[in-house]
Parts: sequence; C-alpha cells; structure tokens
Amino acid sequence: MNILPWKIIHLDLATPLPSLQPESDYDGYYLVFWWRNLPLGRYVLPKAQLPLPHTALYSLALQQIAPGIRLRLGDDWETLINDPSGLQHLEKLLTPPDTLPTVSVILCTRDRPEALKTCLRSLQNLSTPPHEIIVVDNAPRTTATQELVAQMPEIKYVCEPKPGLSIARNTGIEHSSGEIIAFTDDDVTVHPDWSLRLAQSFLDPNVFAVTGVVIPSELETEAQVIFEIGQGGLSGEYRPLVFDRDFFETNQAKSVPVWQIGAGANMAFRRNIFDKIGYFDKRLGAGASGCSEDSELWYRILANGLSCHREPTAVVYHCHRQYRENLERQMYQYMRGHISALFLQFLKYKHWGNLRRAIFLSLHYLGLFGGRILRGEELKHQTMIPEFLGYLAGFGVAIKYLLTPSNS
Amino acid sequence: MYQLIEIEVTQPLQAIKTEAKHTGIGLKLRCCDRPVGLILREMPPETTLSKEELADIIQAEIGTKIIQEKLRDTLSPALDLDAFPSLTVAICTKDRPENVERCLKSLIPLQIPDNTPRFEILIVDNAPSDDQTQAKVAQFPSVRYTCEPKAGLDFARNHALAVATGEFLAFLDDDVVVDRGWYDGLRTAWAENPDAGGFTGLVMPYELETAAQILFERRGGFGRGYEKIRHGQIAPGNPLYPCGAGIFGAGCNMAFRRALLLEIGGFDDALDTGRPLPGGGDLDIFYRVVRSGTPFIYEPRYLVYHQHRRDLVGLQRQYWSWGLGFMAFVTKSYESDRDNQGKFRGLVWWWFRDQVKQLIKSILGQHSLPPKMILAELWGGIQGLLGEYGRSRRRVAKIRATTPNDSAISEANPALVSSKRHE
Repeated sequence: MNILPWKIIHLDLATPLPSLQPESDYDGYYLVFWWRNLPLGRYVLPKAQLPLPHTALYSLALQQIAPGIRLRLGDDWETLINDPSGLQHLEKLLTPPDTLPTVSVILCTRDRPEALKTCLRSLQNLSTPPHEIIVVDNAPRTTATQELVAQMPEIKYVCEPKPGLSIARNTGIEHSSGEIIAFTDDDVTVHPDWSLRLAQSFLDPNVFAVTGVVIPSELETEAQVIFEIGQGGLSGEYRPLVFDRDFFETNQAKSVPVWQIGAGANMAFRRNIFDKIGYFDKRLGAGASGCSEDSELWYRILANGLSCHREPTAVVYHCHRQYRENLERQMYQYMRGHISALFLQFLKYKHWGNLRRAIFLSLHYLGLFGGRILRGEELKHQTMIPEFLGYLAGFGVAIKYLLTPSNS
Repeated sequence: MYQLIEIEVTQPLQAIKTEAKHTGIGLKLRCCDRPVGLILREMPPETTLSKEELADIIQAEIGTKIIQEKLRDTLSPALDLDAFPSLTVAICTKDRPENVERCLKSLIPLQIPDNTPRFEILIVDNAPSDDQTQAKVAQFPSVRYTCEPKAGLDFARNHALAVATGEFLAFLDDDVVVDRGWYDGLRTAWAENPDAGGFTGLVMPYELETAAQILFERRGGFGRGYEKIRHGQIAPGNPLYPCGAGIFGAGCNMAFRRALLLEIGGFDDALDTGRPLPGGGDLDIFYRVVRSGTPFIYEPRYLVYHQHRRDLVGLQRQYWSWGLGFMAFVTKSYESDRDNQGKFRGLVWWWFRDQVKQLIKSILGQHSLPPKMILAELWGGIQGLLGEYGRSRRRVAKIRATTPNDSAISEANPALVSSKRHE
C-alpha cells in the first residue's frame, strides 16, 4: 500500500478562503478551521474529493464549525436569533477576565532533549506566562535534559529516578504550587494561548478536569499518516463538550468511552482533585502498562460524580511518531495499556462494562482481519497486528494485577 | 391531515392553533429565507402550541442549523448569480393538464420577474391521449410545447435533451410546484460549484392531507436533508459509493449541464418507462454523471414541493416501483460498469439485509410503515433482480420500431436516436 503525506492547512475564516487543487505529492488535506485564534473545527479531505472551489469550501467549513458554536451559545432562543452570527458572541465569551487561577505546567520527559527544546521554546512564548513550568526528568540516562533546562532559569527542573510516566507526573504534582496543573508532553509545541484557555476554563468552580485539542504538527511520514488518518489521531472533538454523570451512566453498561475525553498531551486538573480521588495510577502509563493513565484518572473523576470538560480553544501541536517501528510499538502499548486500564476500572468499581469491552474488542479485531481479507488493505489495517498483540498482552498484565495486591 | 405552516425563524414567532380537521402539524422552517428543516408533530385538533413551546421545539431541532445560516451570511463571499448560463426547464407530462398548470403557475413568476424571460420552459407531452395539455400550455405564451409520441418518461427526457436550447437543462415532474427560491437555489449551487455536471434539490411535501401522504413523509419522503452536499468521486465512510445512487436525490427535481448529458448518451429509455418498469431512470443518470468524473451537487435551496400519492394503494405501488427501479438500475449497471461489480454485489446484499431488518421492525411495530409497504418494496427489488431490465429493453425496442421517430429530434441530435447507444 502506497501511503503519501497529507498536507495540514490552517484556514482562518476571518480571511478569504482559497480554492483547493489536488497536489500529486499528497493523498489529501487535513483542514483546520479557525476564527482568528480560536480553533472551530477540522475536516479530513481526501484527494479524490478535490478540486474544491473556495465557495464550496465555505459550506464545508460552516457545517464543521456550527455545532461547537451552538454549544457555546446555549439554548436561549433570543441569543440564538438575535446574535448576528454567533462569532461576536463567541469572542465576547472567550475574552479572558483580569484574574485567572494560577497554572503550573508539568512536562515529563526522558532522554529527548531536541524535542524538549522545541517544546520549552513554545512554552516560553505563552501569551499569559504560567505560574511555573516544571520539567520532570524521568530516569534519565544522560544529563542532557538537566543541562538544557539549566539554560532556562525560569523553568524548574526535577529529577524522578524511578521510571514510569505516572510516577513522573505524580512527582511533578508534588513539586508544583499552582491552583491548576496542566500537563503536556515533550513531543508537542503549544499554542500561545494554551495556558490562558486552560486557566479560563477553570473559572467555573465545578470544573475539575479539562482537555484540549491535539493537532498534528505534520503528516509527512507513513507512520504519521497511519496514526492520524487511519487511527483517528489524538485531536478529539472541537466542540466544548461536558462529560458528566449522564455520559458516565448512559455508557456504563458497555464501558464508558473515557478515551474520547482527550489526551495526556493536553490536559489539566484542579489541584484539589488529586486529594479527592488520588494520583495517577503507577501501574498504568508509559514505562508501566503502556498508556491510559490519563483516561483512568478521568474515569475516577466521573465515577465520583464529577465531570470532565473539553476546551477546544486550548491547542497543542503534536509530532506523531515518524517511524513505523515506533508507531507499531506505540499501538502495541496503547492496546496493552487500554486493556489493563479496563481491568483496573473493573476491579476497583465492579463496573462490568469494562470487562465486556475487554472481551468484545476481540470481535473488533476479527472484523478488521475479515475486512482486510474481503475488501483489501486500508490505512486502518496497517497496525492491526501489533494492536492485537498488545490486546493479548493486556490480559497478561491484567492477570498480574489479580495476583498482586494494589500498590497505588 | 397535518397543517403545514411556513415559519421564518428570524421573525417573531406566533402561537400555533390546530383546527378541528388537523391531527398534527408540519413546520416548514426557514432561516434568512433558506429552508432549514421540516418538523412533523402529532397534535390533537383544536389545541395550541405557545410561542415558547414552539421556540423550544425549533431550537432543539435546528438550533445548530440557524447558527450555520447566520454564519453563512457573515462569512461567505457574495456570489454572482447573474452570470448563470442559459437554462431550459423541461416538464415531462402525460395527460395531467391540471398538474402542468399548477406547476407552471409557480414557475412562471421566476421565469419572468420583469419583462424578459430568464430561462426557457419546455413542456414535453408524452404520448398524450388528447390535446388537453397542448391547449392548456397554449394559455402561457412564455412556455414552449413539444410532443414525444413514444410513451416513456426517459423518451420524453431525451426529447427535451434534444430540443432544449439552454446550456443547463433542469427537469421537473408535473406533480411538483417550485419554491420561490428554486431558481436562485440552482444558480447558487452552480455559482458555488462551477465545475459540477449535475444538481439535485430538496423535495418537501406539497400537502399532508391524507394518511398515505403523512406516512410517506414520516418515512423520510424524498428528503435528502438541509445541508449542501458536493458529491465527489469517493465518499468517506461509504464503501459502496457511488453505486447506491439514491443518495444523490430524486428525479422530480434535477438539473444537468446539457453538453455532458449528450456526451454520456442521454437517459436510458429502457428505465422509467411507466408500467411495467416505472423507475430507475433518475438513479441511472445520477450514477453515470458521477462516473463521468464531474462533481454532483445537492442544494437545499433548490427546492420543490411534491404532491405525494394520496391513497395507500398508490403509495404501496410507489414503494414497489422504488424497489423495482433500483434493482433494474443495479442489474443494468452491473453489466455496463464492470469496474464496480464488487460494489454492486455489496449493494444488493446490503439492500436486502436492510429491507429485511425494516420488515422485522415493522412486524414488531417499531417502524413507521406497515409490513405490506416494505414487502412491496422488497418484492419490487426481487422482480428487478430477476431480469426486468432485459424485458424492458425488449419492450422499448418494440416501441421504438413501431413509433415513427420525431424528425425534430433526429435533426437536432442524431446521436439520441441510435438504439445502440446503451450497449
């Protein structure tokens, strides 16, 4: 299967949109629609749908952005009808107030000083500088990270010798003092308004957890295209959704899709939530089971009757794995982590939907294999073998949980 | 019967009161004069829906759509509708002069808003039993009349294709009336998509007077939604695209670039022949236009109101003809477009599975249609699969041999007279 790059095009609706012509070097366009500095929607446009005149592109954009604006405007008839376009109202709604809660940014890293450098530069460019930026150096093999951070006096350096992303994040929380704790990863760059939008979303005292949009920074290699276009990537919804008790209860029978809430590369919590429901589970996450330490924490928040919020205006740009072997390892870990998290959630709460999903996912893979044979290879089939192996390995991890007492 | 009410949501809302004869309401919603939704609701006779209740219902159903339309006015660039090329609007009809008159009365105000006609209107009288239609049309000086002696809707459509003068050719069935925004809707679709070869528009109910009409509309009617669609060469998430050609629209309201129709050989006169194969011609032309490689546009502003079958027997026959026409189209295309045979096999499988699912739902009482309507469609589909298209081709060849060719067509477009063009 020949996989070409996809071109990422950021389109600001405040300026005239272009007509889109197919380009032979690309399989398609990954469109992100903005209104000035607010991201409002995206569309994955395969080459076969091109050319697209600019006039038709407007219709496409409006269809994508209207649902998110609707959620912001709410259900009041007068607002709906009298607001000339929704955009004025949106800008007003999103004008930051004078006082905002303080934000600690925590960034966990391990032996990737080049990526980290780019990330830290973007953090230094934030429009509203955060209360503090903490780099947690997790079980480093070299001193490169320490030396890099030493050149940036405003960034705090903490070393956590025990490997594991959850452990490193928990250490970061212990060393922080802000009211809001925002997490990001070393393979991202952040939008200048990132911390501002996160802080703003915590103005409501009932908000305990927030996630934002993760936009791919490039889709140049096969691995990046497979991950974003074939697997759906990390971007998540561009609508300001609230995941609440309702969401939790309606989905409980079939397992709550907490992974829809967001991604660890762009999430924030109110400090006091950790006292209420505990810290990241050390058994999950990179360096342990593989991943899902973020979604498992959201699961606990929801299970405790609190809600998680999406604030799509908080944007980071993620550089997906560039090489296939790295992607395959990642997908293996994703599935292993996912299954382990399902088991932990089941063991903790006896919510049977988790177990049901863990078992029924095998049918999903059966379907994928079947589709691969009947209809030929597609992007989504590219990583199904490592995924499936990770799926099986997840059960191995789960058996280990059953045999060892909880240590979280 | 349902009371049909048009509501412009940007104007102050009024309470709604049903009369003794009403069993429900149909709210035809517009925003900035563009159609944005149809809400059907049962409502007891002589009851009132307050302004507040109405606002709640509307915003729950189409709140997002209202925002989208307002954003469109703020953001989208102005379109030059007057640059629209010449247009012929063809209405093919047979022995229904009242319908023709009703349709023309809605169309002529759009044709001549002031003194100069903006497009050509062509009535194609298909194998008429008498001269009533011709006499009726004579009352409208801006309308051109022509007669196609060979019985069959696609003969009539090809006749229109041969004698039309416009660069674009729009078709209307005689049982529709056009909306005041119909012409602008078509022009908008063209201005937004100047590279497109075909267009279809929204079809809303003309009336909801009888149980059959309400049933039909509740099951979705001809509706293809209130969002503009630009159909390309693939549709993400639809592996059978473009073979399920029903998604493109309905033949009662469609338009094409005329040169493109001529290039691909016009309509297949073995489909849409009236009894015993009254359907499939629109699906076939949509499919072939898309397969020719041009974009195909659906535009909700390009709106007509269709008078649905009034009686349940007629409705049942309509569902039967949908099944029949669809499968006739499938069996034809399976042979003529070999690249897509796999998709067509998948489509047949999908269609029967879907029909059986609907039938089970209907038997369990969870479907808007009674089982016999679904059985009718299913039976039509089976008949269509069992060689109806081949039989129709033989019948049509006979008609062609026994009816003299219209000299006007053969002179205008000899290509359209060849009986071999679909082989």
